[in-house]
Amino acid sequence: MIKNKTFKSIIEKLIEKVFSISGLLTSILIVFICYFLFKEGIGFFKNSTIENGYGLYVNSKNKNLNLSSQDLKQIFDGNISNWKELNGINKSIEIIRIDDVFSIYSEEEIGENYENLSSKTSELIANKEGSIGFFPIEYEPKGSRVTKLPTNHLKLSDFLRGKEWLPTATPAPLFGVLPLIYGTLLVSFLAILIAVPLGLGVAIYLSELASASQRKIMKPIIELLAGIPSVVYGFFGLVVLSPFVQKIFNLPIGETALTGSLILAIMALPTIISVAEDAMRNTPRSMREASLALGATHWQTIYKVIIPYSKSGIITAIVLGMGRAIGETMAVLMVTGNAAIIPHSIFDSVRTIPATIAAELGEAPSGEAHYQALFLLGCVLFTITMIISIVSELISKKSYKKY
Amino acid sequence: MNKKINQKIAFLLFKLFGLVVIGILIGILGFISFNGLKVINWEFLTSNPKEGMTSGGIFPAILGTFYLIVGSLFIAFPLGVMSAIYTIEYAGNGWLIKVIRMMTNNLASIPSIVFGLFGMSLFVNKLKFGDSILAGSLTLGILVLPIIIRTTEEALKAIPDSYRTGSYALGASKLQTIRKVILPSATPNIITGLILSIGRVSGETAPILFTVAAYFLPQLPSSIFDQVMALPYHLYVLATSGTDIVATRRMAYGTALVLIFIVLLLNLLAALIRRKIEKKSKY
Amino acid sequence: MKKVLIVTWALLGVTLCVNAQKIKGSDTVLPLSEKEAQAFMKNNKGNKVMVTGGGSGVGIAALIEGTTDIAQTSRKIKFSERQKIQNKGKTVKEVIIGYDALAVIINNGNGINQLTKEQLEGIFTGKIKNWKEVGGADLKIIPLARETSSGTYEFFKEKVMENKNYFSGIRSLPATGAIIQSVSQTKGAIAYVGIAYLNNSVKALSISFNNGKSYIKPTEENTKNKLYPIIRPLYYYYLTSSESKVKNFINFVLSFEGQKIVQTVGYISTK
Repeated sequence: MIKNKTFKSIIEKLIEKVFSISGLLTSILIVFICYFLFKEGIGFFKNSTIENGYGLYVNSKNKNLNLSSQDLKQIFDGNISNWKELNGINKSIEIIRIDDVFSIYSEEEIGENYENLSSKTSELIANKEGSIGFFPIEYEPKGSRVTKLPTNHLKLSDFLRGKEWLPTATPAPLFGVLPLIYGTLLVSFLAILIAVPLGLGVAIYLSELASASQRKIMKPIIELLAGIPSVVYGFFGLVVLSPFVQKIFNLPIGETALTGSLILAIMALPTIISVAEDAMRNTPRSMREASLALGATHWQTIYKVIIPYSKSGIITAIVLGMGRAIGETMAVLMVTGNAAIIPHSIFDSVRTIPATIAAELGEAPSGEAHYQALFLLGCVLFTITMIISIVSELISKKSYKKY
Repeated sequence: MNKKINQKIAFLLFKLFGLVVIGILIGILGFISFNGLKVINWEFLTSNPKEGMTSGGIFPAILGTFYLIVGSLFIAFPLGVMSAIYTIEYAGNGWLIKVIRMMTNNLASIPSIVFGLFGMSLFVNKLKFGDSILAGSLTLGILVLPIIIRTTEEALKAIPDSYRTGSYALGASKLQTIRKVILPSATPNIITGLILSIGRVSGETAPILFTVAAYFLPQLPSSIFDQVMALPYHLYVLATSGTDIVATRRMAYGTALVLIFIVLLLNLLAALIRRKIEKKSKY
Repeated sequence: MKKVLIVTWALLGVTLCVNAQKIKGSDTVLPLSEKEAQAFMKNNKGNKVMVTGGGSGVGIAALIEGTTDIAQTSRKIKFSERQKIQNKGKTVKEVIIGYDALAVIINNGNGINQLTKEQLEGIFTGKIKNWKEVGGADLKIIPLARETSSGTYEFFKEKVMENKNYFSGIRSLPATGAIIQSVSQTKGAIAYVGIAYLNNSVKALSISFNNGKSYIKPTEENTKNKLYPIIRPLYYYYLTSSESKVKNFINFVLSFEGQKIVQTVGYISTK
């Protein structure tokens, strides 16, 4: 009997331990998510600015070159035609890719297993003073008349301040995150701008004006709006909203920041309404009654007493709605047109961070700069939403203390 | 007088806003039902996609979503309930519990695409599960964990302390109290959380993009290491690709309707259970 | 307790796992592989072929990781990817299973019928911005591209744009269906799609690759005899170590019967 009891208490202790571990589960998971995101993301900076496994080679006579990724893009796009423009010799630029080598020399000259390929690339670079070669390191040109251009590691400042997102550009991909950040913020802010007045209006209506039966109808409807999957919203946006926006505003194309914002506004509405309504309903009865007793109308009571009282709750609602909007992926991917430009108007197409990850991760070669850049975007997104979540928590805590 | 007019205008506006929200919901549901109902029939629900997804049905996607629901909740439900029991019944009120609460809230606020990235790097690549039901279920399980924890916490909090003290007075241990008294009375509320989680799992696309979802896979999975099709991803595919956009669009309406129907049904069920509980607790 | 359950569940899964060949990769090749697999399984009972998409990059990554037997791609394997396989001590083999032609499409309301390679390059690098510059109405050109890393995007860049980059900020849409829809709704739009996706809601242009001397329409005949210039190969990649496992299927795809399927799907056979 006694034995049985100690046995039981041991079991009880054990189960308590299991409970406590599972209690810590969410914290552990966050640490894990952090670790895996940032591990891959930080790996991005170990990559060189030039595509992995390749090098850039110029003729040794061509000195004083210090080429940025942007310069390389201009060269390979044919927008810069003379080395003079880049501090080099006065020769027109001639681009040689590995495929060109195969069209210049016959297969016999190169060799069945490419054994002569390296000497052929050397020959090409050495004989043409204005040449720039983009070759696999395995077949790199050698000799005193060839200079290998130094490669840099990708830098955080290029990532954060770059204005172009061209992750598959050769030879030097451009990972400028600015257009994506601007795109994400534009779409989310616009969505909040649309959703907040609407959401607060409905929240006031629900908490102050609606009869019990009206509430009974409205509340489930708002829950249903929250329950509809984002991909359904995206689909609706694609087939209904975007042609609609195109027609109404007479735009060349319907997939714009505005279209995305409208869909996001609908998606953020339930969050805003329910959090704001909760805050308003928590206003003490005594405060309302005091206001009404002083002769204020119902409406005056609402905007002079109830709204100021529930201010922090309303701000929390807005912040949470913002969080929802920033992280939304599928709906935005389907309706914003996904152009990686810094937007100048709400009728521009934009590309958001989540949409970029969803659209590109499947095709990005695993473990390479592009893949890791997408994880880095994930880190940015993670950090933004963490800040939002902590801020909203601090706000709601503050309101507790005040009263 | 002026005050009254102001009030009238303001209230009218709010009422209008309310109507707008109802209008939005009716608009979306109406549009999709109108177009989707024409497509849905027995064959649509029970057969494979055919001819480049322009005809046939969506059965593999329905089944895939079902597997993901079972898989993710099999993982998340027990863990979530245990976690909530710890925070409510054991942890007390110290700093630790504040951190845990905050972390749960933070986890809930992480965008779903980030879960996708995490699931891909840990389950698919690191643990080498590949794109599979297992990897997808784990990812979705983590995603719904905060929902289960929160609703279970609410359910446990709602149980009056008198239940606990009464049980202790009868000589029951803490574990016995939890098992015999607290959990049974909290069950309906916990189930509401479970149902809401099912709704969430069946609608999420971003987390499964890179962990499980197959673009097109007419075979049914034979193990948890297989990929499956899933309803939300299938809708995405139908909406944006397909060789014949007009014919595919029909299928997309049908799929959207099935998806909405599942989610709405679950929400309705949860609401009904909640209402029943509220009625009961009145007496 | 739960862990035990998970483990047993996992074990159950493993025992149920049949020895199937897996094909993974490009969504362009997917409908083709799917039909080939169905026909192959009909002829060879007991063999199982599983086909999934995800993208060319995903397919090759899976090949490197060993989670697929064949990677189907709409682009050539990248040098860095080949190197990764070599680093693992394996060699990769390439098979061309068919060809796909890309049609350049515009809105039906646009009067333009033909463009040269140089004009296309100008449009997609952002140098030509208005349709009147290529002989059309005074209307802003809206080029649409596929996602940056899709095989189609890369191929168009190589073949038509001479490896020059798209202008940054080009609108990109996630998949071909969305592109066709957008072009059919947008007056100034121009885009490219696989020829299997063409329908009459959009107009396919005739293309000249010889400075306007001759323009070629992407008709079935012109693509079949490869007169039409924008044609790309579709590939299967596999590791030589698993050659015996995949050989039968690949032989079937390359056979007369298999190549007939290539044509019915809307692609061009290798023969």
